[in-house]
Amino acid sequence: MTTARFTQFSYWYPGSAIPALDCVDIEVDGGIVALAGASGSGKSTVLRVFNGLVPHFHGGTVRGRACVLGMDVLSHRTRELARNVGFLFQDPELQAVYATVDRDVAFGLENLGVPRDAMLSRVHDALDRAGIGALAGRAVNTLSGGERQRLALAGVLALEPRLLVLDEPLSQLDAGGAVSLMETVSVAASRGTTVVIAEHRLEHVLPRADRMLFIDRGRIDAAAPPPPHLEAFAVQRNSVATAGASQWSVRGVTAGVAGAPVVADVDLDGGGDVVVLMGPNGSGKTTLLRTLAGLLPALSGSVDRPPGRVAYLPQNPTSLLHRPTVRSEIEWTLRHAPDGDNGSVDAALHAFGLQDVADRYPRDLSTGERQRAALGAVLVGGPALALLDEPTRGMDAPARRILVNAIHELCAAGGSVVMATHDQDLATAVADRIVQVKDGAVRVAPAVEPVLA
Amino acid sequence: MNPRALGAWSFAALTVALATSNPIYRALVLLCALDVLVVFRRRGTHIRGLLLAVAIAGVVALAITVLFSHTGTHVLVRVPDAIPALGGPITVEAVVFGATTALGIAAAIIAGAALSIVVEPHELIDALPGVLARSGAALGTALNLIPGVGRSAVEIRDAQRMRGWRPARVRDWPDIAVPVVLTAIESSMTLAESMEARGYGSTARTHFSVSTWRPADTVVTGCALAAAGIFVALRVIGVVGDWYPFPTVTVPPVNVLAACCCFALAAPLFAWRR
Repeated sequence: MTTARFTQFSYWYPGSAIPALDCVDIEVDGGIVALAGASGSGKSTVLRVFNGLVPHFHGGTVRGRACVLGMDVLSHRTRELARNVGFLFQDPELQAVYATVDRDVAFGLENLGVPRDAMLSRVHDALDRAGIGALAGRAVNTLSGGERQRLALAGVLALEPRLLVLDEPLSQLDAGGAVSLMETVSVAASRGTTVVIAEHRLEHVLPRADRMLFIDRGRIDAAAPPPPHLEAFAVQRNSVATAGASQWSVRGVTAGVAGAPVVADVDLDGGGDVVVLMGPNGSGKTTLLRTLAGLLPALSGSVDRPPGRVAYLPQNPTSLLHRPTVRSEIEWTLRHAPDGDNGSVDAALHAFGLQDVADRYPRDLSTGERQRAALGAVLVGGPALALLDEPTRGMDAPARRILVNAIHELCAAGGSVVMATHDQDLATAVADRIVQVKDGAVRVAPAVEPVLA
Repeated sequence: MNPRALGAWSFAALTVALATSNPIYRALVLLCALDVLVVFRRRGTHIRGLLLAVAIAGVVALAITVLFSHTGTHVLVRVPDAIPALGGPITVEAVVFGATTALGIAAAIIAGAALSIVVEPHELIDALPGVLARSGAALGTALNLIPGVGRSAVEIRDAQRMRGWRPARVRDWPDIAVPVVLTAIESSMTLAESMEARGYGSTARTHFSVSTWRPADTVVTGCALAAAGIFVALRVIGVVGDWYPFPTVTVPPVNVLAACCCFALAAPLFAWRR
């Protein structure tokens, strides 16, 4: 039996005149199927058809047919499909229902009415398969992002689904977390579970995928070749540090909570260049950035910022969006800039690839578009110093390219960039200096080897 | 300890504390409840804030009574009559009555707060009877979201500040409030979606956690409910009555059986393992 078949399936979100899915014809029949496409192309929407979240949870209009494991998606509720279709979401923070690990894994089993004795063994089996058997009794809020995503996966595996759907499950994980999550997924696939996965970090998915589907503006053409932007993102390096640039420095800075400083006695400076802070979670990268931004007063030492605006891109930047349109979001930053930035809104919209969505509500956009909107809102108007905290987390390839360009332009205009990231590719692409932050101390790495463009 | 047994104990302590205005009984309940709270609070919970809140509530209750009730025979000082409402004698009786009120408030708060300080809120929710299980899951999920909302509020404030936001007027605050609320709503929607995808809302629901009920829980529940029952019965037949220090302060009467009922509320100290 075919696992899933969509026949001329079209879907419109409530109030939208443009179809999010346009006459989709696909057949999924075992193995690991990778679904690729640009941000906003309809990946998340297609995935949500498999368990009926589209249209049952989201509403809207449907034409055509979709059948999953012999059940018509339109006439079966999500909770019925959930018996056989597991779904893993993007954000590890927003999938736990209960406060402890084993309790949370059991949530789905409770809903399906699994008897308690069977539940216990299935919970522990699922935790083992997800590689977090040792965390069974832990409080969910003490887990790292990677552990939380494995917890969510365990919650899905416990249901023993015949079809496993994953919506950008790796985007919030570091490289190690991504590799081990994909390992668990392919083990599940080898045990007979069909897997459909949308992910922009294709380097982790492609080696394991049996088949690939491309989606573009709601259309899936099974025969189409991969669109060009899916190739690995080109590395170019900004080699010229501009003279007369915006100098910044921290001298002997200790910061964090009084009595328990997170970083101690840090000396660092820069001007017109890109300094990349790398190091494990909790090593003090964010504390350093926040101190440099002036959001966190230094306990001792001195911080010098260049005259002009200091821009700060926090983690989860899309949460700062609050204006009715992308355009007014960018205008808002320019209006509030202390030195009356004279940047042009249209130029910024163009630079961040937002011209097509300029008049749309930012929170209605796809994840990638929202990230670009947040980037634009923060970096518009040529700040003297830009501080970026994990800017590529959850970012797709076009957004990354736009980010790299924006960083190069900023430096070319005499600005400085300090950025914390786990993303080795990004660091190689833009860094003039890489600074290792470990246990609250910094060590400046040797200059980055020039990379051939 | 079983959360339901703790619930029964908390209910009983509240009942006794509120059943009479006699400060002796109230003080005994407060003493027992405080003891239970201090001994059995979860590791890592801080009770300083709670005690401070109780102290403030007590002082406020005392001040209000002292300043506004001008009856009683033993006058301490006189507030000039020219001051409206406050003007008049301040009496020993009013001070005693204020202290009695404060004791009652403190005993009730401590008895209630023990619930959330001794067991996890989630354990309590799990202990809800079966018909409330689904609302309980929803409530528990909401509890999980609260720390996230706090974090995102701080993040968003910082982000907007770095974009040049300076709160000068009330009109500026929506620039923070709007994204915080929107982000919270989006988080709830995502969580709702993931709950739906895990089959939430099915009718045939089973339960993972079955909290164990030990003999000690029976002892605690039995002692607490018996204490409350007997105390209320004594109140109804008039052996225990309300007590007022007016017009002249007297020593509150104490009934031995009623006092024993108050002491029985210390049962958790002897029954549960620490």
